[in-house]
Amino acid sequence: METTSNKSGFNKRKTYIFILDHVIEVCLILMVIGLAFGANRFLTWANWMNILRANSLKGVIAFGMTMVIIAGQIDLSIGSTVGLSGVIVALFCRDLTAAGMDLTLACILGMVVSLLMAVLVGWLHGVFQQKTGLPAFIITLTSLYALLGLAGRLSEGFPIPNQFPDWYNQLGGGRIGGTMGIPIPAIFLLVCFLIVWFIMKFTTIGRATYAVGGNPESARLSGINVGKTKIIAFIIVQVLAVISGFMTSGQVMAGTFTFGKGWELDVISAVVVGGTSFTGGAGTVWGTLIGVIFMGVLSNGMTLLNIDVHSQYIVKAAVMFLAVLLSSYRSKIKA
Amino acid sequence: MSVLTMKLLHITKDYPGVRALDDVSVSFGGGRVHALVGKNGSGKSTLVKILAGAIKPTSGDFYLNDEELHFNSTSDAYKKGIVSVYQEMSLIPGLSVAENILMGRLPKKNNIIDWPKAYQRAEDLLQLMKVDIDPHEQVSRLSMWQMQVVEITKALSFDPKVILLDEPTSALAQSKVENLFNAVRSLREQGVVIIYITHKLQELPLIADTVTVLRDGKLIGTQNLDDVSQKDIVQMMFGEVKTKARPSDLVVQDEPVLEVKGLTREGWYKDINFTLKRGEVLGIAGMLGSGRTELLRGIFGADPIDGGEIVIEGKTFTATNPIKMIDAGVGLTPENRQLEGLILMHSVKDNLCYASMKDTSTGLLENQKMRTSFAKEQIKNLDIIVNDINASCGSLSGGNQQKVVVGNWLNTRPKIMLYDEPSRGIDVNAKQQIFEIIWQQARLGVSAIFVSTELEELLEVCHRILIMRRGEIVDEVNPSEIDVADLYEICMRGE
Repeated sequence: METTSNKSGFNKRKTYIFILDHVIEVCLILMVIGLAFGANRFLTWANWMNILRANSLKGVIAFGMTMVIIAGQIDLSIGSTVGLSGVIVALFCRDLTAAGMDLTLACILGMVVSLLMAVLVGWLHGVFQQKTGLPAFIITLTSLYALLGLAGRLSEGFPIPNQFPDWYNQLGGGRIGGTMGIPIPAIFLLVCFLIVWFIMKFTTIGRATYAVGGNPESARLSGINVGKTKIIAFIIVQVLAVISGFMTSGQVMAGTFTFGKGWELDVISAVVVGGTSFTGGAGTVWGTLIGVIFMGVLSNGMTLLNIDVHSQYIVKAAVMFLAVLLSSYRSKIKA
Repeated sequence: MSVLTMKLLHITKDYPGVRALDDVSVSFGGGRVHALVGKNGSGKSTLVKILAGAIKPTSGDFYLNDEELHFNSTSDAYKKGIVSVYQEMSLIPGLSVAENILMGRLPKKNNIIDWPKAYQRAEDLLQLMKVDIDPHEQVSRLSMWQMQVVEITKALSFDPKVILLDEPTSALAQSKVENLFNAVRSLREQGVVIIYITHKLQELPLIADTVTVLRDGKLIGTQNLDDVSQKDIVQMMFGEVKTKARPSDLVVQDEPVLEVKGLTREGWYKDINFTLKRGEVLGIAGMLGSGRTELLRGIFGADPIDGGEIVIEGKTFTATNPIKMIDAGVGLTPENRQLEGLILMHSVKDNLCYASMKDTSTGLLENQKMRTSFAKEQIKNLDIIVNDINASCGSLSGGNQQKVVVGNWLNTRPKIMLYDEPSRGIDVNAKQQIFEIIWQQARLGVSAIFVSTELEELLEVCHRILIMRRGEIVDEVNPSEIDVADLYEICMRGE
């Protein structure tokens, strides 16, 4: 008899944890239903495509940030990378075509250089963190300023407009299927989600990332290469920031060094709302996708309801606070 | 001032399934140093915790002079003048000596800290201890023994009647121990009851007036130190112990698997040489700080080595790391399973497959079926009690957690297993199961090095025991030719 009662108690606990794990999805559905009745333009195709277009730019970075945070690290510099990559591409387009190079070729070269820069910056973050043991917060905070300064110097403090080829502008501004079609950034969001989700769920890199964030010493003694694992996470978030930089600069058709300024906090918000633990070792890429959509629907809904932007901040703050509270409660319950 | 007496009457403490203290009655007088000794699990730390108010006895009373004491918390004990100085330092390194001594009780004038008075007060207390430490000095710049003395001075500032000193010399270099003893002697002159817990028996004649021995929760006796020899004390600590027999079918093969030649890590161990044969279970005995854990970590590559070489099946290594050693067929169950062996928030399944990640994946892709079957195999073979393979490791009992650590390594199909304190903090049944696992692996040809503080365990589990003292191997014994008291004596000798 006792074993049966134990078993049903155990299952109740399991159900409880399952619900706790998916509270954010439930909240999102409730919010969508509420807004469907409360705001009349909310449930239209155009509005949803807008939500996706507006949130994909930060959203793609959030998946990489999820990896970094699960690994027990943080990257504050991604906003500067967004600005810098747009500036680099714009400069390549302007200066290399002036020197007689084909525009498409110049643009692709600029994109390749941006991506290489992302790999280098991510690698440096990982190596420095591992070798010095300094908190990633400090290391990437210095990159935030260094990369912002570099982008400012390169662009001499001004936007560099109208240098890109048409197809590049499409990366951020284009749609598939006409003016009412699916925004290309939304496609990027989906593809980046699938890639990072796959890495975290099905590969040894993902497993190692969870292990390193969960307990670096145990991971090391189990033969996991802790330094390499962190480096991979730092590189992926930087590469995604560069991709976001391409979309952002393409959308406004200019390379501007201040683009992306302050994005790190929005990105981290989406990750945290999605249930990733700030202490590392726990979280899901799926949760982050929901977190991105949740934050996007929330601000879209509030705008449709004519709530002023200042009040919107306060509501977002409350949502984040609750999310963090929930996540710490959840980790206590599980242990 | 009348002479203080701390009196314990019929103290018993029960834990589920274990009687940690069994009807202990003893009294300690003021102005004397009372040594409290006993091997691990003898109940001495339980007794200290009761006196310090950290736990309550199941039955029995204790008195300070004639006042009966009931503590609900350690702060109750402080109020009655019973203060403890634990091995773990409670000092804050970034603050000054005076701030640490008067922590939370800095003298104030008009609600502003009266610094001149604070430093004067600290100075007075340090002089009472007859030590020359500047109260302005930052604690992080002090040496180990000075910190220990500051800790005791802090205890003294509470105007204590009883001071509990828990292994105060364990972290000190030999040459500095006398400095600490001088401080303890000054304390004795204040008329305080001093209860001194130690495992270093050779210290006793230098500092203690009486010695009280506990074994298996029972009081064996209290003696004046002048009336007993060290050998008598060892006899009291261990009594008549029969070593349990090892299964008879464990055969050591001739072929060497691991040869350690001149292995050295500066400051930890030096010039270590031994050979481990296939199927052999080799024990390493030694007191805390003798370098046994560091040696295992050195062989496994968890810490760097400074010299010497490790030869595994003919292959020579002069620089190691865990990844290399796992490839060579070595596994280590670390001393602290929760901090070094497991990722507590992750599932049993994940924790059983971390070390064997390479074998359970194709390239970068994990093979989920294989992971599950690897995990299930260990759960079955090691008899790990778990409702759900996906439950977090943090929810398991200590014994089951230890089995998960072992299972994680057995999944790598090791040739050599290094077990560092595998029986720490787990119950008797689980201990026996862990030993069975070690033997079963030995039958399959896996060699083992077994490190344990529990000497009885070493005698029971191992074919051969090396004895380490201060980073060197000083002796080798055959478990069938030695008893536990003699083994203890060799471990302690010359310390």
